[in-house]
Amino acid sequence: MNASMGLHSLTFRVMRLCRPSFQVDDPLRFDSLDLLTGEDIFDDPATVSQAQLPRLFHRCNTNTTKPGEVDTYRNRYVLQNPTDAMGLPGFLVLPQAFGAIYLGETFCSYISINNSSNVEVKDVIIKVEIQTERQRIMLLDTSKSPVASIHSGGRYDFIMEHDVKELGTHTLVCTALYTDGDGDCKYLPQSFKFIVASPLSVRTKVRTVKDITFLEACIENHTKSNLYMEQVDFVPAQNWSTTTLKADEHYSEINCQTREIFKPPILIRSGGGIHNYLYQLRLSSHESTQMKVEGSNVLGKFQITWHTNLGEPGRLQTQPIFGSPISHKEIKLKIVEVPSITISGRPFLIRLNLTNQTDRKMGPFEVWMSKGNFHEQKAITVNGLHKMVLPHVEAFESTDFNLNLVASRLGVQKITGITMFDIKEKKIYDPLPDLEIFVDAD
Amino acid sequence: MDVEQNDGQTLTSDLQALSVSDPLSNQFSSLNDLCYEASSLQELASRGSWRSILDKVVRARKLSLLQKPHEHLIYLCYNVLALTKLRKYGEASEELDSLEDFDSARYKYETHPEHYPNRSGSMVPFALRWIHAEIPQRLGKRQETLDRLYSLLDFVRTKLKEKESKNMNFCVDRWKKREAFLISSISSHHLSHKEFSVCLALLRQLLNSDPSNPILLSKLGYIQMQLGDLEGSKALFNRVETLMTEGNPGALLDEVQFKNLVNRNKALIYLVGKDYVSAVREYEECIERDPTDVVAINNKALCLMYLRDLSDSIKVLENALERIPTVALNETIVVNLCSMYELAYVNHSDIKRTLSNWIARVAPDDFDSSCTRI
Repeated sequence: MNASMGLHSLTFRVMRLCRPSFQVDDPLRFDSLDLLTGEDIFDDPATVSQAQLPRLFHRCNTNTTKPGEVDTYRNRYVLQNPTDAMGLPGFLVLPQAFGAIYLGETFCSYISINNSSNVEVKDVIIKVEIQTERQRIMLLDTSKSPVASIHSGGRYDFIMEHDVKELGTHTLVCTALYTDGDGDCKYLPQSFKFIVASPLSVRTKVRTVKDITFLEACIENHTKSNLYMEQVDFVPAQNWSTTTLKADEHYSEINCQTREIFKPPILIRSGGGIHNYLYQLRLSSHESTQMKVEGSNVLGKFQITWHTNLGEPGRLQTQPIFGSPISHKEIKLKIVEVPSITISGRPFLIRLNLTNQTDRKMGPFEVWMSKGNFHEQKAITVNGLHKMVLPHVEAFESTDFNLNLVASRLGVQKITGITMFDIKEKKIYDPLPDLEIFVDAD
Repeated sequence: MDVEQNDGQTLTSDLQALSVSDPLSNQFSSLNDLCYEASSLQELASRGSWRSILDKVVRARKLSLLQKPHEHLIYLCYNVLALTKLRKYGEASEELDSLEDFDSARYKYETHPEHYPNRSGSMVPFALRWIHAEIPQRLGKRQETLDRLYSLLDFVRTKLKEKESKNMNFCVDRWKKREAFLISSISSHHLSHKEFSVCLALLRQLLNSDPSNPILLSKLGYIQMQLGDLEGSKALFNRVETLMTEGNPGALLDEVQFKNLVNRNKALIYLVGKDYVSAVREYEECIERDPTDVVAINNKALCLMYLRDLSDSIKVLENALERIPTVALNETIVVNLCSMYELAYVNHSDIKRTLSNWIARVAPDDFDSSCTRI
């Protein structure tokens, strides 16, 4: 546009308008009795009339004129009641600094366009935009209905809100296109930068005990404020259901008189404070032997809401949380038959059963016995080829096969380290648990 | 003993019979019977004329106008208080250093039988113990202050137990007030450092012994609101409202004050729900009932600003300062007004200077004018 950018009649004034805070004072206020008498003056009732003194002070402490009419600065000096010493009279205070902004929060600001010149300006087209590395978001555009005029000394105000969903540098770009007093078309751009940081990190651990999966989450607060955790919910994936596990109440809490009125809040300390959460997950389907494991093992994700001063909210969702890596349960391998007598040096067969517990064809497989960890040779080894290859197994089908073994030592010995390898998926399974047999002499 | 007929003007026959040499057992119709020119000290302090108090103390000392040991202590107390109010913490600390240990014999009535023939106990004004604890923090030694305050709390609790065991009910009442005062003061320190958990734990102790105190309940609500527990604060405010409908417990608040407290609490709930229009309505009810309710006035101005009405928010605060300066002139209102000026005016230094000049004419000596950020 053919607009000049010289001296401007208009200026943008911007103030971040997050929620206010309660003013906390450092009051120097007293009960006058505590200033003008010794602390033990009432110990001796005979010499001083106990009721007389306080009444005298009451006259001085409180207003002698109509209720509310105070003609001195008495309230800066005298306590109305002991809790005034808390310095929390209830005044709210506007945010005094821009502060830090974090992902998940709402950026709110008061924007005022001031005409600080002597003349009226006309036809003001205002645009407000947020620019990030990835995108530009238009928050306000008055092109369709420009502000007809702003007189000298006048203002046009608006309040903007934007949910912060990206990290990094953000620029609030305010522009005004207007006709000034001389009839010239002027263009005023003003921008304000701020950086969005990450407020929390969530570290998880998954443990499976029998058929219960436990999910432990540790939330760490990277912000400069204490965070009140309004909601830390685990939203389970399909097939899973979740219960939040909470610690028992401390005995001092249970006995506390004010328990009904007032519960200590979950507050994570600023700059590195942490809080741990524990969830119990169960598979919704009751057929645990025919688990449908679709390759990925997503358990769900977290939905977190926190509050800072006066309930200023922040919201985040985590990436999906994965369960433990694929376990035995896809494929079940077990030893089904062992000879009743085993003689040292004489080869023997053990029969194993391989069951495919998934709904798709699996294999082919390789089976072998791992070499021992120790330098000594294992007592029971494979007799013949080191590796055995098994063909495909259809969905939900099973197959039996024999392993040819030989024992080299007498007594109670272990069949250990039978390992299976899925050639196609290139997945190695944990070895079978050890099985003990008795090896006789010839 | 007979109870007096009216405000401490008449003596009972018992008191008349006592020796007149103990100044504290005389009939006293004015504060001056307690201490040399005590009413003048009280008057100057109420006006915020702390510099005049310093002059008064200097004069009294120079001309040896103080006859009794307890008067020296009281004047020293006011001197330290004035220095602290004027933010001359170094000098206040020096003055306190001139004292012996508070529990020393020198400050006991029985050590001076020539002045106090029938009296025993400590003549140290309790406020002096507290100021002595507060000073280190103002000199940058926060931990020292916390240590002293917690020790003082122990001291108060010991006294409380002692008086309770002797059934000295009036003394128990006084020491209970001092305990509440101390706990509140310690909480203030923790609050300003955002140590919310400690603060809440302390105030719970206070609440346990005074569970129907609407002021305390409301303040707990403000703390919960400040840290973000909106449900918790709502529950506390509901309890305060219930207390009001049940009838006024104790003599803490009169009817107007209680109603305004409940309205202001309601307004806060609207505010955190971003219903600023309803919040303004609640505050206007308060102001109608009590035109000097500056908390309502200040908070109403903020609501107007959140409603995009910067001009009216400025008018509300300016109007209050003009109409009721001795109530409205405080650092918080000035901070808010100056923030509004900075937003509303490109050349805000002019208007801030006008405000600052007015403040210099009207304000008490202890007003902290750095709040104008000029």
